Amino acid sequence: MAGPKKSVIVSYSSTQSFLSSSSWTQILQTLNSQLPLRNIHWKSASRPSIRTIHELDVSLVNLDTIRDEHTSQIPTTLLERPLLNIYVITCENNDLEAYRATVKKQIKEWHATVTSRKNQEWLILHVVRADTRAQSGAFFTLKGSVLDKVRADFNTDKRERCVQLVWSAGTNNPAAWAEFLNKLRDGVLSAFESAVIQREEEVRRSEGQRQMPGWNFCTFFILKESLATSFEGMTLYDDALVVYEELEVSFYQVLKEKNLSWFGTLITPSPTDDSAPLLSISKKTYRELILANNISVFDFRIYVLSRQCELLANASRLTEVCKKVGVFLSAFGRRLREIESEIPPLFVESWIYSSALSAVDQCDTWGSKVDLDAKRPAFNAGKAELLELGRNQLDVLGIEKQYLPCKPPFSSALLVSRPENAQPKSTESISNPQLSTALKDQDTFYDLYILITNRAIDLYAKSGRRKFALKLHGSLAALDLHRGRLDNALTTYNSLPAHYAPHSWTSLESIMLSRALETHETAGKPKDREWIHVLLAFFKTYAESGGTELLIPRESKGVYISQLTRSLETAVSDLDSDLSYPDHPALKVQVSSVAILDESRDGSHLEVNVHNSLPCPISISEVSILLTGRDLERFRFTSATELLSPGTTNLKLFCPTPCHGSFLLDSSEIRMKRLLLQWSHRRTSHNKTPRHAAKGNNVLVRIPHDLLAFDVRLRQPPLVALGAPPSLLVVISTGRNEVLHASFSLSAPSVNFDCQGVTLSTSIAVYRSTTPDRISLQDLPADKEIELLIPHSDVSSFHSIKVSIEVDYTTALEPSITRSLRLTRVISTTLPVSVNVEDFFRGDKLFSKFIVSTLSHQHVRISNARLEPPDTESSGLKILACSSSKRGIITVTPAQAAQFLFQINSNGPVREALSLDITYRMLREEVEFVVEEAVERAILENPDWKLHRIPLARKLIQMLETDASWVEIYGISGELYIPGSPAPDDALREPIEVVKKMLQTHQHSDTPTGPWHDIKIPVDVPIMNIVAAAQIKLSTQRDTALYAGQPIPATLVVRSSFHWGTSSNDKERQYMMQYDVEEMVKEWLVSGKKRGTFVATDAGTFIVPLTLVALHHGEFKLPKVMINALPLANVVTMGSMAIPNTETYQVHGAEKVLISPRGGRSTFVLGMGST
Amino acid sequence: MAPNLRLNAVAFISPQNHPILIRTFMKQDETAIKYHYIAHTSLDVIEERVLASSKSSECYLGLLYSMEDVAVYGYITPLKVKIVLAAALTDAVARDVDINMASIKTLHMAYYSAISNPFLVLHDSSGAIHDTSRPLLAGSPKWKHLRRRVDEIARIVGNPSDTSTAAG
Repeated sequence: MAGPKKSVIVSYSSTQSFLSSSSWTQILQTLNSQLPLRNIHWKSASRPSIRTIHELDVSLVNLDTIRDEHTSQIPTTLLERPLLNIYVITCENNDLEAYRATVKKQIKEWHATVTSRKNQEWLILHVVRADTRAQSGAFFTLKGSVLDKVRADFNTDKRERCVQLVWSAGTNNPAAWAEFLNKLRDGVLSAFESAVIQREEEVRRSEGQRQMPGWNFCTFFILKESLATSFEGMTLYDDALVVYEELEVSFYQVLKEKNLSWFGTLITPSPTDDSAPLLSISKKTYRELILANNISVFDFRIYVLSRQCELLANASRLTEVCKKVGVFLSAFGRRLREIESEIPPLFVESWIYSSALSAVDQCDTWGSKVDLDAKRPAFNAGKAELLELGRNQLDVLGIEKQYLPCKPPFSSALLVSRPENAQPKSTESISNPQLSTALKDQDTFYDLYILITNRAIDLYAKSGRRKFALKLHGSLAALDLHRGRLDNALTTYNSLPAHYAPHSWTSLESIMLSRALETHETAGKPKDREWIHVLLAFFKTYAESGGTELLIPRESKGVYISQLTRSLETAVSDLDSDLSYPDHPALKVQVSSVAILDESRDGSHLEVNVHNSLPCPISISEVSILLTGRDLERFRFTSATELLSPGTTNLKLFCPTPCHGSFLLDSSEIRMKRLLLQWSHRRTSHNKTPRHAAKGNNVLVRIPHDLLAFDVRLRQPPLVALGAPPSLLVVISTGRNEVLHASFSLSAPSVNFDCQGVTLSTSIAVYRSTTPDRISLQDLPADKEIELLIPHSDVSSFHSIKVSIEVDYTTALEPSITRSLRLTRVISTTLPVSVNVEDFFRGDKLFSKFIVSTLSHQHVRISNARLEPPDTESSGLKILACSSSKRGIITVTPAQAAQFLFQINSNGPVREALSLDITYRMLREEVEFVVEEAVERAILENPDWKLHRIPLARKLIQMLETDASWVEIYGISGELYIPGSPAPDDALREPIEVVKKMLQTHQHSDTPTGPWHDIKIPVDVPIMNIVAAAQIKLSTQRDTALYAGQPIPATLVVRSSFHWGTSSNDKERQYMMQYDVEEMVKEWLVSGKKRGTFVATDAGTFIVPLTLVALHHGEFKLPKVMINALPLANVVTMGSMAIPNTETYQVHGAEKVLISPRGGRSTFVLGMGST
Repeated sequence: MAPNLRLNAVAFISPQNHPILIRTFMKQDETAIKYHYIAHTSLDVIEERVLASSKSSECYLGLLYSMEDVAVYGYITPLKVKIVLAAALTDAVARDVDINMASIKTLHMAYYSAISNPFLVLHDSSGAIHDTSRPLLAGSPKWKHLRRRVDEIARIVGNPSDTSTAAG
């Protein structure tokens, strides 16, 4: 059978003479050059949309050569016969006589034959020579042209079937052809359409008779197929495909009705059927087989498929070809397997394999012709799928031949599980030479397997289907493993998990990992770090999926894992250095948020839940967690554990270091010999999204304060002497421990501690040795406070210093544990009080007033303030305190300062500093002491409460802190009313009530008890060269009435003393002084020598008379007198005249003078407004 | 009505291509890996389809590919959760007949109702804190209910009451 014609036939006819003329040859040639027809739009009545034929080949055939011998009953393509018949006439356009005489008759003959044919169109072409036409120019020819005549004679219906072609030899003007080509197009189309309509009608009729006896599917098929072939000829591939699809549907319907009488068997395999190229329609005489009603279903379907694929390929839909072939092979393969016993062994596999490969080749051939740019990846993917399908057949065949093991991934290709001891099937009947050679020799088979797989991988890679390629890589690795090429397999298996891990395809990842482990095992490689990493990654997948996604048989899972765990244990103990692995999910550490104190020794316990997600116990050596606090404080809680059984294990971790407060859980660590599994619990803000900020909070662990633990505190020393090198008091409280050895060092930024200058201020004798930066103590008894005074460099520029203390100590109870504490203590360097001094010179006496005020908001209790003379007694210094020593305790509040006045008598100037000693304490300290005292007393009465001593005092202090209302009453009477009451269920309720009662009756004792602080402030006695006392004395009688306007005689007396100056007791010494009486212009009119100079001598007196006139009545002060020293004549300091310092006091400063009004009249003028 | 299919496996895959649930309905344990592979490789095809029709809002992606006895269908929810169905290959598949949309919709709804559980991620493992982009993992015990529903759907889809299943 010939392949379908690709072109439409158009016949031509004319007079014999013309056809043999050279001009016709020329015309024909030119016409052929205008072909094929392009851009034909077929608007069919039976089809909804316009079909466009881009290019249509037309073959022009002489009508006489067409014979009607094809009068076969077999319907073939509609294009087998001409669709259009053309008759060419050549007579002159106005040569009507010639037309009438001969041409008309010729046309008539032709017309009669042509119109009798069904579904054929005709066209009369009038060829006019271009030159003759120009000559004639017969516009006014009444008779009309030949063409008109032809039209009138033959073209009876509306359709225009006559066309004129202006022909000039040599020129090839496309425009000249346009009309003819249009006619040609129209003619072909209309003929085609009518033919199609007729054929479709036939088909429909035949289909309608389906249920009638005698209907034959094969005949129907051939009939309908002719439509498809016709469409194909017209390049209407889509319509052709539709026909085949409909045919397929009919076929399935027939199948469903189980009416297969028109077919032979399902398959009558010929020896080469399994390897014949699938998509070749010429490999068998399919149509004849169909006509003969004995085509097998196998052949029939292959025929339909190949025809469809061919059409698809013509329509450049190669991707669909691949898909269609793939689906067909799979689906029909399944059908064939149902009758496996009737076909040669392994026929299906061989057939699918050969067909898939040949289809790929065929697609490549087709693909090389068409441009596939955008579709290339999809096309590649389609081919790759076919290759993979073929490769799967190799899996099956390989297992059959026992070249491949019957287990995944190879066995995934098996559609039915293979019976255990099935007889290997014969491969004799496989006709594909490549395949049959491969099946004879194992290595050739492997080569073929690898070749096909690599082809598929390559195509998948080109199409961007990475995941498919990965899967095939996995199968190659499995082949390597099976062949014992362990290194290759290991490399692949080690690289594959990384591709599955990022998207957490744990199931596939775990398979790869377990294969890698298996390979490692088989290769007998040492279980090194790499192995451990692979194993841990495997455990990770196990833990992440909870074991459910592990694709190994359920019952052996536990055994498998525990086996691995055991080998892990031996492997990690052989490591030469530690191997750390972060964040392994198989073990999970959960830390409780509150630590529990170990009451019997220093340190605390922390409960930790370790969850083991593996199904078997893991033997470990240690669990530890790390807590961090401020300033690099680190506390490690550890617990030595041997076994973590599956599920949650509750562990108690211990940290010997006493510490308290809230700490951040930093990390946890589980040690398994040399393997360290680490988890960081610290969340840094930058690597998390805000959404999870609240969720992923850091874990805080609170460790309660252990009051009986070893502790180091800092205090201000009991005595602060300003000016002396500062020191601080280090208080070591041993708590419950008998300390064998303790050593500590202090450090603070820009402060130096003189550890060698340490003095022990407690009476307990402890051996100590010091290095410049470390102090060691030994044998400290329990429950004692050892105070060490450590001098340090000047810190007056700071308000407080932050001292880091590093302490190591060992207790007698646990001599093997050295506990290391890193403490940070802040100690204030400023004093709580400030002292201001005011000096008043009165002749040879000096009054010093000290004002003590608090610097903080706290109340300061001052028990005593003394002004002490310097140790070296000199010049008969005598100090008298102004107030009696029985003044009691003074409270300095922020609002109210305390004043202390002292009188200093001396024989001469005091060169050395006095010192002001203030004994003070803060109110808080005092109250704390009072409370502690009360608690002590309560304990004496109830010794049971001894254990509660510290908590009790603490609780009471806390209650005091809640409310300040007690302060006032306490300040006055000493009675301490503790606000609030303990909760009813408080264990300390009873003792609290007892102590509360006690405190309510507390009285301030006369002698201050408890701890006090002392400050020694050096006080210099100021030097005053001249002390002057000015006095205005009224010379009138004391009880004389004084009137305004009346002159009052007075004297100004200035007494000077050099007692407090440098030239004390020097009788020769003189100073020039200046005095100035203050102007009080409203009150006094001063006459006399108001201003003047005088010479002052030690204990000398200067007197000058004045007259005062009071300006109005009232009670006034007398004017003040200013006295200044004039610069010394011959002493120059700092480039200027030195002025001796002077203090003046007004003797009359407190006096007032009563001035009475003078008698007489007073006139008052009052303004009464403007009117 | 589209013919019913025998479901071999169903896979739910998260928008980040993490497996959410892979459920196989085969007797043998061994074949499970095949469906895991199918679920994984389908992602490539889904990606192709989605890229090819980036503008279309069509959820159903049709037949993704077929391999031997399995036809793989894809469905992508508007929130990009992918549902992959591996059905037994029949001639219906060969004829390019689409599968029953109702069953896919039911699967989608099953997932939807499972994810609507407000307590679903409350007690998530600490692993999730480390990597915020992996909310739920395959085989996570959280999906117990979803798993049960999926099994049920597969059973109903596989054993239809009507007998219109096409024969091969």
